[in-house]
Amino acid sequence: MKIAVCIKRTPDSESRFKIAGGSAAIDETGLKFDMDDFASYAVEVALQLNEKQGPGETVVVAVGPDNVQETLRKAMSMGADRAIHLKADAGVFDGLAVAKALATELKAGAFDLVLFGKYAFDTSASVVGTATGALLGVPTITAVSRLEIANGRGTARRELEGAGEMVEFALPAVVTIDEGIARPRYPSLKGIMAAKKKPLETKPAQLGSIRVAVKSMELPAERPPGRIVGQGASAVPELVKLLQNEAKVL
Amino acid sequence: MRLGKAERRTDQPFRRIWNVLRVGIAQTKILREPIAGVMHATIFWGFMVLTAGTIELLISGVFRTFSYQRFVPDAAYRAYELSQDTFAVLVLGAVAFAYYRRLVLHPRRLEGDNIEHLDAYIILGMIGSLMLTYLLAGGFLAVARPGAVDLPRFASLGVGRGLAVVDAHSAWIGYRVSWWTHAVLVLAFLNYLPYSKHLHVASSLFNVFFSNTSWKGERAAMRPMDLEADVEKFGASDVEDLTWKNLLDGYSCTECGRCTAACPANITGKPLSPRKIVVNARMRLMEKGPLLTGDRMEFLRPMFVHGEGGDAGARTPQQALEHRLLDQYISEDELWACTSCRACVQECPVSIDQLDVINEMRRFLVLSESRFPPEVQPAFESLERNGSPWAFAQADRAKWAEGMNIPTMLQLHERGERPEVLFWVGCMGSFDERAKKITVAFARILQACGIRFAILGQEEHCHGDPARRLGNEYLYQMLAKDTVETLNRYSVPTVVTACPHCFHQLGNELPQLGGNYEVIHHSTYIARLMEENRVPLQTEEGNRLTVAYHDSCYLGRYNDVYDAPRETIRRALPVVNLVEAPRSRDRGLCCGAGGGRMFMEERVGKRINVERVEELLATGADTIAVACPFCMTMIGDGARDKAEVLDIAEIVARNLD
Amino acid sequence: MPNILVFAESRGTELRKVALEAVTAARGLADGMGGGEVHALVAGPPGIAAKAAQVGQYGADAALVCENAAFARYARESVAATLAERAKAGGYRAVVIPFSSQGRDLGPRIAARLDAPIAADVIALSAAGDKITAKHPGYANKVIITLEVSGSPAVISVRPSAFTAKEAARNARSETVQPALDPGAEQVTVKEIIEGAKGKLDLGEAPVIIAGGRGLRGPEHFKLVEDLADAFGNAAVGATRAVTDEGWRPHSDQIGQTGRQVSPQLYVAVGISGAIQHLAGMRTSKTIVAINKDPEAPIFKVADYGVVGDVFEIVPALTTAVREAKKGH
Repeated sequence: MKIAVCIKRTPDSESRFKIAGGSAAIDETGLKFDMDDFASYAVEVALQLNEKQGPGETVVVAVGPDNVQETLRKAMSMGADRAIHLKADAGVFDGLAVAKALATELKAGAFDLVLFGKYAFDTSASVVGTATGALLGVPTITAVSRLEIANGRGTARRELEGAGEMVEFALPAVVTIDEGIARPRYPSLKGIMAAKKKPLETKPAQLGSIRVAVKSMELPAERPPGRIVGQGASAVPELVKLLQNEAKVL
Repeated sequence: MRLGKAERRTDQPFRRIWNVLRVGIAQTKILREPIAGVMHATIFWGFMVLTAGTIELLISGVFRTFSYQRFVPDAAYRAYELSQDTFAVLVLGAVAFAYYRRLVLHPRRLEGDNIEHLDAYIILGMIGSLMLTYLLAGGFLAVARPGAVDLPRFASLGVGRGLAVVDAHSAWIGYRVSWWTHAVLVLAFLNYLPYSKHLHVASSLFNVFFSNTSWKGERAAMRPMDLEADVEKFGASDVEDLTWKNLLDGYSCTECGRCTAACPANITGKPLSPRKIVVNARMRLMEKGPLLTGDRMEFLRPMFVHGEGGDAGARTPQQALEHRLLDQYISEDELWACTSCRACVQECPVSIDQLDVINEMRRFLVLSESRFPPEVQPAFESLERNGSPWAFAQADRAKWAEGMNIPTMLQLHERGERPEVLFWVGCMGSFDERAKKITVAFARILQACGIRFAILGQEEHCHGDPARRLGNEYLYQMLAKDTVETLNRYSVPTVVTACPHCFHQLGNELPQLGGNYEVIHHSTYIARLMEENRVPLQTEEGNRLTVAYHDSCYLGRYNDVYDAPRETIRRALPVVNLVEAPRSRDRGLCCGAGGGRMFMEERVGKRINVERVEELLATGADTIAVACPFCMTMIGDGARDKAEVLDIAEIVARNLD
Repeated sequence: MPNILVFAESRGTELRKVALEAVTAARGLADGMGGGEVHALVAGPPGIAAKAAQVGQYGADAALVCENAAFARYARESVAATLAERAKAGGYRAVVIPFSSQGRDLGPRIAARLDAPIAADVIALSAAGDKITAKHPGYANKVIITLEVSGSPAVISVRPSAFTAKEAARNARSETVQPALDPGAEQVTVKEIIEGAKGKLDLGEAPVIIAGGRGLRGPEHFKLVEDLADAFGNAAVGATRAVTDEGWRPHSDQIGQTGRQVSPQLYVAVGISGAIQHLAGMRTSKTIVAINKDPEAPIFKVADYGVVGDVFEIVPALTTAVREAKKGH
């Protein structure tokens, strides 16, 4: 199968963030970047599908500045065959624009399957994958936690709130991958060496006009230090009140 | 052995010779076990002494009248004769005891790993027969030619007394028969040697010479690895990936099992047996060697040693070539079960380095095949992203120091100052709630002593030791090189750390990557300060604690630091009752967290930390002292509610004035 | 005055709470732009029409009802097509949908069909000139991003619970709408819905997690944790490694460095001391409550609210109180 996986380079999810001077972006000093978590699940799914189903090709695609090439190489060190770098500025928050750039590139590729992560850590919007599928006009299935492909058809389990939805569809299709489906493999040193020689193509990304832009960023109000609400069962009413009114989780 | 990779092992020749004398000739490691040790030492020294006699005997077989008597003063010859008889009796006694031990006592370490007993019986039998035929020859001679056997040969004379019933002629025949039997046995034994584990008599002294295991510190460092090398594979999956020294180790192993008996994994039921690792390497070499070299090396194939767990039934040469040491002989589970405590290396009487093979095979698993327990992956990923094996942000590194007014290297650097010492905190000490208390305690001690120290703060990240222990040399070198860069940039003076793993890594292994620093463990540092009376202690009578100190493997066996922590405890608690667990100092039982096992699940057998805690508690201690944050976690977990577990820094800090 | 189109999500023949929140958000946006109309589209199986009128209570001027048996299941393409067609035809300024499981899937489809910019998972909304300003938490809720959306229509999906449904009763007229695409002929066919076993939520999805540790003393006492989870209704049950190692709970329940890493809205740690490996698995939870008898337990350092004492007394009391509080949700 010819599978494309669209990946993203995002900061490590454990990082503490600071806002940069101009306040329209995060301060990147000292931050570690890597493949977005959900995107890495998608890469793993693609690799496993092609391993199981005989000869195929796994192509990884990323939109962004030159530094995304590092992430594309990482995907190739896991086993992807080649990479396409769609060059664009960093920090694009217009999901539809990114989807357009991807759809333009993918249309030409005659892919059986295009995979995305369910959402990316930085934008946290769940837009690009679904929008790309809609633009390509193919069956688009989101938040998939189980995926099987056979004879040009796919079955998947989608995670809803508290329930699962079993769906069926024909290929070609676009699928966004949820967690729990596969553990991304750790690249071996051999894989890392091989990745350096695999093909990586760069072209400009055709984003069109950007209509969603970042005006500013700020850090959420500091989490106040926790406190002991009380001792024993008598503290429960106070706790419930705090959960309802302060934390707003009840 | 030519199949093995090249390696240079002729540096520091005097130290090496000293080791041969100490470990080999003086049998220091053999004697670690009192009874069996004396038994073997007797046989070995007897062998050396009696060889002189054997040579005399064999030469006299060709040149009838040959005797040392011609070349040495009389008194010396008499002493020589006495030595021969004395040792003949002693060795015979030792052999008898050896049989008794194997057949009746069945010591645990001589069981398992499917080792071959027949080989041992044959060897013992041959040795015993040699002694018997020697004494019989002497005895018969004494009867046949009275006066031919002098008084120093008391045992032969004694035997002769017993044979007095025989007439002179028959005695002469008896003598000739005994003599010839003895000579033939010697030559037969020599021929049997390569087929049995008795080959160790030829290889072991060389093995001790070429071994690096008796060095502490830098020699206990893991083998360096060149990742830039244009090689097919990284690490070892089969015998040709091992070095000639590893292969020599295989030939020197006598399957005594002292290593396995000391292995914390094996003791608690894991599949790992260090002996099996070595024996399997040899077996595999025997199997593959001839196929690769095309030599008729059959003569080295041990007839009687087959062993189990290996040799996945390769029936044809093709199969044998398809198989490999990894998987078909040694399983992944065995390799990952190792805590790298070095007890096996410590115990081996012929200085075999079992840990080297385990490490090289781990490197292969990780670097070439990306095979490792799944729970290790988050640790690798976190190390790569966060510079710590746990998912904590580097920005939080110095949070423990809040309010303590401790400068960072960067701050001092900007002021153009340098501290006396850099306190390397480590990941446990920075992030683990329990270990942070140790960090704070030690910092307080330093402050109380007026030491000008600094920390790296947010510039500190893991040096990669856990990755290295787990076989991920690539990740390790990335982190370690960066650490060296940081430390070199600050021209770090002296480094002190409360974690033995950091201590070992920074002091003993970073030199491989160009980082040479004076690194001191906090136990040594505090002991030094106490020696100089710089630590303000209030040593009131107070409660008399019964403290059992648990030796950290990376402090003890790796670096020979046993006394400093004990000294520290004694000085901090003058009325302490310091008790020792049965397995302590260089026999100390590991807590179970080393070798990257801190990051793995323990799924088989008894928990190592529980085994250790039981032993510590059986001493009657109400307090257990440790000098390592990993030990703190493991021992603390096992001793929960049963004893208080404290780091030595905490013991001292509690008693600060 | 610009009008806003809302997708009032339903489940079966009931409108969901998030639907009413979306209407409120739309109402607020419309008022901010001069007081245009809010039209709420409801797509559901026959019978939904009766409930659709609810939208009027929360500020909608019109309820656009699309009834079709096939809408008993989530007919993504049809709903997207219907909304998009209506949005284009009606010249709406914005389309507001909930950022629920369905809404996440729906929003980008609508945006693609309309070639409209989309801002997802929004917690605050306002209009400034010809731009819509939307606040959205990114970077796993660590950074609040203020976005400016230019272009009309714009698609906005609002985070559940960020906008509290507010009564603002209007006389909503009802309109029948035909589906733009046959909901029975979707490219993605739903074969079945698998309800979670006894409502057993996946740890990764559950907004609330109640986790038990060694302080519970034995597997039989995990009933306390399960009851509390039950009381919340949308809670999953987790466990520490100590407990899964003992075999009290299955390994799949383990939260920690070597188990699941979770980030729910609310994490209640019952009888858990807070070893570093456990903390690594749940530290990023929005609100953490800890219940433990040891006031020195490390868990209290990361908890927002702590209760010290006997879990066997506190948890049942909390369960009762939560049940009470949840009545009428």
